[in-house]
Amino acid sequence: MASIRKSGGDNLLVRYIILVSWTLVCVVPILWFLTIGFRPRTEIIVPEPIYWPTWSLDAWRLLVSDWPIALYLRNSVVAVAGSVVIDLVLAIPAAFALARYEFKGREDIGFYILSTRMMAPAIVAVPIFFLFRNIGLLDSVWALMLIYAAINLSLVTWIIRSYMLDIPKELEDAARTDGAGDLTILWEIMIPACLPGIITAAVIAAIFAINEFLFTLLIASTSKAYTMSVALANFTGGSDGVIYNAIALVSFIAFAPILILVILIQKHLSRGLTMGAVKG
Amino acid sequence: MASILLKNVVKSFGSFVGVQDMNLDVVDEEFLVLLGPSGCGKTTTMRMIAGLEHPTEGEIRIGGALMNDIDARDRDVAMVFQGYALYPNMSIYENIRFPLRMRQVPKAKHDDLIRRAAEMVELGPFLDRKPGALSGGQRQRAALARAIVRQPQVFLMDEPLSNLDAKLRASMRVQIKHMQRELKVTTVYVTHDQIEAMTLADRIVIMNKGVIQQIGTPDDIYSNPANTFVAGFIGSPPMNLIAGTAQNGTFSAAGVKVPCPASLSGNITLGIRPEDCQVGGDNLQGQVYGVEPTGDITYLTVRTANKNIEIKAGREFRAPIDSAIAVGFDTTRLYFFGEDGNRVGVK
Amino acid sequence: MLVAARLCRSKSMAHLSQKLEKGAAKAAPAAAVYSVRRPRSAAAKKMFPYLLVGPAVLYLLAITLYPGLFAMYQSLFVVKFVNWSWAGLGNYTRIVQDREFWAALGNTAIIGGLSLSLQTIIAMTVAFFCYRDPFVRGWRIIFLMPMLFMPSAVAFIWKLAFNDGRVISDLLMSLGLASNNVDWLSSVWLARLTLIVADVWQWTPFLFIIFVGALQGQDEEIEEAARLDGASWSSIFWNISLPMMRPIIVVAVTLRGIDITTMFTNVYIMTQGTPGGATETMSYFIYRQGFRMFNFGYASAASVLMLLITIVVAQTIVKRAFKSGKS
Repeated sequence: MASIRKSGGDNLLVRYIILVSWTLVCVVPILWFLTIGFRPRTEIIVPEPIYWPTWSLDAWRLLVSDWPIALYLRNSVVAVAGSVVIDLVLAIPAAFALARYEFKGREDIGFYILSTRMMAPAIVAVPIFFLFRNIGLLDSVWALMLIYAAINLSLVTWIIRSYMLDIPKELEDAARTDGAGDLTILWEIMIPACLPGIITAAVIAAIFAINEFLFTLLIASTSKAYTMSVALANFTGGSDGVIYNAIALVSFIAFAPILILVILIQKHLSRGLTMGAVKG
Repeated sequence: MASILLKNVVKSFGSFVGVQDMNLDVVDEEFLVLLGPSGCGKTTTMRMIAGLEHPTEGEIRIGGALMNDIDARDRDVAMVFQGYALYPNMSIYENIRFPLRMRQVPKAKHDDLIRRAAEMVELGPFLDRKPGALSGGQRQRAALARAIVRQPQVFLMDEPLSNLDAKLRASMRVQIKHMQRELKVTTVYVTHDQIEAMTLADRIVIMNKGVIQQIGTPDDIYSNPANTFVAGFIGSPPMNLIAGTAQNGTFSAAGVKVPCPASLSGNITLGIRPEDCQVGGDNLQGQVYGVEPTGDITYLTVRTANKNIEIKAGREFRAPIDSAIAVGFDTTRLYFFGEDGNRVGVK
Repeated sequence: MLVAARLCRSKSMAHLSQKLEKGAAKAAPAAAVYSVRRPRSAAAKKMFPYLLVGPAVLYLLAITLYPGLFAMYQSLFVVKFVNWSWAGLGNYTRIVQDREFWAALGNTAIIGGLSLSLQTIIAMTVAFFCYRDPFVRGWRIIFLMPMLFMPSAVAFIWKLAFNDGRVISDLLMSLGLASNNVDWLSSVWLARLTLIVADVWQWTPFLFIIFVGALQGQDEEIEEAARLDGASWSSIFWNISLPMMRPIIVVAVTLRGIDITTMFTNVYIMTQGTPGGATETMSYFIYRQGFRMFNFGYASAASVLMLLITIVVAQTIVKRAFKSGKS
């Protein structure tokens, strides 16, 4: 009892009313949407909402037969994983330089990298569309991979930079006197020591890449390069309108791995989401 | 196994001068301690010897060879850090092995060398652990093992004991000294702790504000401080310094009168160590400010003319606060310093 | 090799050989004793950090600077498929007189501003009530969940709840708050409300997780000292926690604010700008001009204007926010 009292909010009743209400707000739509995934289509778009549906695996059958869901899944995985690899390869050395070397223009370069995160996708949407059309990469998973990498590069760089700043300088000095060169220090000392930061950055970049919508919509003009995120917007079937039960199923297929990844990095989440600016 | 020579070394950071025109000759196999308050330039000096900083001016030589442009990784120097600087992702074994790998020591020899180094610091059973699973003292020993494993020309130790508790510090002190004697490696040791300096050093270098104040053996530094800074820095409690004037062979200040060399005159500072004072006598008059029994001796603080004088009194000495007290000095152990702070009146 | 020899020597009697070798070492040129490799030249050392950041910067330039310049160039043309005809500043003079452009700017500010305020208040309230709760780990996971859905999925959840499935109307009716079916897309404010609800639902967790982390990280001793001084939890919050969290709040709200101004997915899926453009955001405006009406030059002009706004915001607010976040 003592430990329950020892907490924010003087009045326990008020506290739990608020927390439980917000729990309902968060959870009820999710559970309700889950039921949508297991309803027949006829029970979704109706004048009077049906709260207790008849269960059915219509959506599943539809996904397997009418839509290449495995292809969308594969596109998502390839584009996202590829983009994260590109990000790490580019960001780790950059973060190392920003965190550990004195050089002219360091502040400006760091801020430039940060500021690309502030750019609305729409601003570059038209030019990027033309760019990829000119080099013949429209409708390709490779184009998506390159775009996702660009979107997340600033975030990944800044998160890793923040973790590298936390590594005591002594460690590097020790390695230097032990005979290690710059690249050995990066590879053998810095990267292992800030592994949690690298994983955090990778997970957050992966989530943002999975979520990406606008560029994917423009670049993936046919279902060949659709990812899960954009495929959803195309689950429409002429007179049937939006096919919600299929959408719900696909949403949860994407939700599950993201939930696991996030629980894995929970402790680092707020630091990652603020690009390292907030610790703890 | 090498001498170290610093010749007219200057290190400035922008407009701030960290080390000023430093000349230092560390003899082969010597244990040299750099002692001084924080910010005095002792760590900067050590980092320049390590090659982690480069001097703005002057020469640094190790074993006679000019080191100015040689990177830390190419100097045969091992360093032990205040925070131990063990690589957190590697086991203790891998930590000790790291310098061997970096210096291309043949793989076949690693295991033997590592085990011998670990043996020396009594770390054998912990080789498979990660640094995080060790206590402070064990981590310190692991850091030592990593330094000795490759038998460098020079050991550099930057306040290696300051993160340990008092008891552990004392035992590690002995261990470090023993090890240095056994390995016969030239060692430069940085500390702000005078006990460490006194107990470990062959010679002590006292620094303040980037300038060497005095170089000498521990005995020398204690018995013949070159100036008021050294006098006030060494000793626990440190030497009492009393400002006054000298005239006709007598030094006087408010409540104080002692004989002094006839050659002295004008503004002079008198130095007297707490253990060279005794209760009863006619050199100083004052009031008891505080009495601190510690068991083996009693620290007595006497207040005179707004100044506190520390005295080591007998173990049974007790006196009420504010009572009048007279203090006598051992007049053969008086020190006098001129207006510039340097020692004067030495025969 | 040398090392091994030295270790043996140090053991005992090999003192003589040691002296001998030392003599030899002294005689040899310095490089032979110490230098394992040639010291890197000063120029190479100076270049090294640039080599490290170079690839990342080039990549970002390719994906921001090039498109930025391209947009500026294209904005000077009227583009009809492959025909580019020079228009000078024509697109810009047209756009500043375009009511739809200003409406999009206003909608972005209104929807974004309301949504951001609501998110901040809710996130802070919820964080305050749970940060020292014994079940805080559980609350954190529960309250995080909406953020873990793909934005397009969230848009469909609310599109279904508001419009296609009429669930919310039905609930309001059964609570007696509405007399008949509400057509959410028929009114300016109701349509905007649906976008705000979707955004608040999905993104309050972003702020919550940052706020609750900051509160949990707060020194408990300070709280205990304040409790002993007789402070209530709410006064601790207002007088101690909130001022201490200020830099964190600034960073978090700034980041969220920036993302809100780029709102696109929800508009695309839920409202398509209806009714009468009342829910058209800047991002959607550019998309519609470019990819629905194929006025690429015009869309580029809008992009350039939005880019200018972004640069100003980044240089002022964001730079300051991240500096204060550091300290």
